Amino acid sequence: MARRKKNNRKKRPIAVTVIAAAIVVLFLIRLYQVFEPLIRQQVFENGIAGPLFDGWRLTDLGRALLSSVTYFVLSATGIAVLIGFLRLRRWSWVLLMSWTGISLAITLVNYFYAQRLLSSQPNYAVMASNVIIAFALNMTEVQRIFGIRRDESVPSL
Amino acid sequence: MYRASDRPAAPATASDLELLRQFEPVAYFTNGEPFYPTDVDHYVRDCSLWEHYPDEHEKLLVKQGELTLEKLVEPRPAAFGTVRFLRFIENLSLTEAAQVLADQARLRLKLRNYFHAGIGRLARGGFLPRLVDGLFSLSFLLRGRVSAAAAAAAELDYYEMFKEEPKYVYYGRVTRQNGWTILQYWFFFCFNNWRSGFHGVNDHESDWEMITIYLYENGGQLIPEWVAYASHDFKGDDLRRRWDDHGELQINDECHPVIYAGAGSHASYFRPGEYQAEFILPLPSWFSGLMRTWNKFWTETLGQPAGNPFRIPFVDFARGDGLRIGPGAPQSWSPVLIDESTAWVSQYRGLWGLFARDPISGENAPAGPMYNRDGTPRSSWYDPLGFAGLDKVPPPPQALELLKSNCNKVIQHQEELEQLILEKAVELQSLGIEMKGMEGNPHLAKQHAALEKMISALGAEVKGLRRERSENTALLQGLAQQRERLNAGEQDDPRAHIRHLAEPDKPTLAFRFDRAAETWAAISLSLLLFAIAGLIFLAPHYVWAGLTIIFLLFLVAESILRAAFVQTIARITLILAMIATLILFFHFWKWIIVGALLTTGAFLMFQRLRELTG
Repeated sequence: MARRKKNNRKKRPIAVTVIAAAIVVLFLIRLYQVFEPLIRQQVFENGIAGPLFDGWRLTDLGRALLSSVTYFVLSATGIAVLIGFLRLRRWSWVLLMSWTGISLAITLVNYFYAQRLLSSQPNYAVMASNVIIAFALNMTEVQRIFGIRRDESVPSL
Repeated sequence: MYRASDRPAAPATASDLELLRQFEPVAYFTNGEPFYPTDVDHYVRDCSLWEHYPDEHEKLLVKQGELTLEKLVEPRPAAFGTVRFLRFIENLSLTEAAQVLADQARLRLKLRNYFHAGIGRLARGGFLPRLVDGLFSLSFLLRGRVSAAAAAAAELDYYEMFKEEPKYVYYGRVTRQNGWTILQYWFFFCFNNWRSGFHGVNDHESDWEMITIYLYENGGQLIPEWVAYASHDFKGDDLRRRWDDHGELQINDECHPVIYAGAGSHASYFRPGEYQAEFILPLPSWFSGLMRTWNKFWTETLGQPAGNPFRIPFVDFARGDGLRIGPGAPQSWSPVLIDESTAWVSQYRGLWGLFARDPISGENAPAGPMYNRDGTPRSSWYDPLGFAGLDKVPPPPQALELLKSNCNKVIQHQEELEQLILEKAVELQSLGIEMKGMEGNPHLAKQHAALEKMISALGAEVKGLRRERSENTALLQGLAQQRERLNAGEQDDPRAHIRHLAEPDKPTLAFRFDRAAETWAAISLSLLLFAIAGLIFLAPHYVWAGLTIIFLLFLVAESILRAAFVQTIARITLILAMIATLILFFHFWKWIIVGALLTTGAFLMFQRLRELTG
């Protein structure tokens, strides 16, 4: 009789899979946001043909490049977090919760000041993904598996 | 094992004063404390007597220097709503105020009587309570208050009084109720400078504090069983400790209980330390209701730790490292006996210091031992047993007798029940046979229905009696066990009656950087205000967004210093997620409802089909 391989790995709750799926969705959205401004500015066809700064202000091309680089960094971070998350690392939970918080803050500012501040429409898909991730990360079983919740008293803020 | 012989005892024939002296406490004060228990006679001679009327004007009744205890209790009819009060410190001009503050500093230097807060209260509370604390401090601009100069003048006056008559006084009262001999020790202080001297909640002229010792008689000896210290934050059973509970109640080598007095507040504690006293802001009921709902959702649904930002932490420093008064200590007591026949106790219902017109009373002086601020009788005086939850507790020698009597009553009742159950059960069986005889006779349908009803009622009655017998059996077992324990001389857990135990703060709180945390606690609120001002000036169009971001950044900074970064980030993200959920629902409620219906429908269909095919 073949011996069954002993499995020492922690069991992954369904919420972790849901979060991982949400990260993938966010990654795809961010990836689109990396290329969209560059396509709009025809960077792939013409290259960086023009100045990035007009005095102290960014030109349209400069803004597009900055936006693209920012979203690229976010996408890359997302991939790193996804790997750590699937390996049930504590730091990935902390990073993901922080990232979700920052992302939610930006999305909400974008929502309330859509036209004035970021001159774009609020991204409801990102908002919804972040909401799912935030609530899933807050689940007791998820926090326990990542070693976040140890049922000890925490100083109040 | 309980042994009454381990405890000090006094003969039952001892006079009241002898009893008071035999068990008088030892008071340990905190370094920096400027006021100690003093006598009311001298204090009153230094006061003026006033009346405050409902139309807000005040009238001087007796001038400072002319008042005596006899004059204080002279009958003076007054209209409803009148508040009579003493005034220890007269109004000070700006120059006088500056002078007394300088003199106070010089006096402290001379006496080397300093206080160091250590980790202050601000760093112990979080950022939100500190924000509310700022508003609480500002509320003193609107509420009546006792000034810091008044506290300084009181300190100087008390020092002079003490120099003239150097003595530490307690007012002792002995009363007897329900088999208990009750010793009350009342301490009078000229001033409570908790706020101005020790960063506490309030200041007020005069302060009355009290502790009680409960004795029982056994073989002609009075033996101490319980000790209760009056407290602002606790009541009833939580106030008292058993004499043999040495983990909670300290008894010195001379067999006297030790009091650790709070610095400035003079509140009495059983153990030395720094106690976190919380002041809960009085909020409108609708707001409190909203907060309760939110807290329920926050803790039960989201599994987050409970918290109340409207609870301001204050520290009561009861370190016991200062002056010590009482048996075995360098200073001794001067006891004075009081009771209802003491005129100033029973006939003066006014306040023992300034009526500061504080609507939440924190800065108004207290009334005397027998009365509350509104002139109604004080429960600790007229019901000293109920005050410490002892009205339901018999003295130990009576406990066994009462237990036996209770057992006998239950046994007797059980016998009656047995007989009754037997009779009713026979009657029930008889009716059952009768009903059986009616079956198959349609012309007896009416009688059958009536009999059925009767049987049902009787059956319920018998069931009830049997339940009662069963419960009584369990009760008897409990009483018998208790009787065995008492017969063997065993006592219950000395803390079984305590629901909320006053515990000093642990010395190592979760602060990552003590000094940095404290500095941050001191300056964070001002920094926040500066940042808001800058925001309004530099980016007026984005005030709300900026305010939210600044507030979040402050919370994160606070959390790093308090080693609670992960939890804080989780809480902030959750709150943002809830706001985002509301926005999503506002914009896509149709889609969300349709999606939920489709998902539920698909789930139900899957379940049913699986049932059908499985």
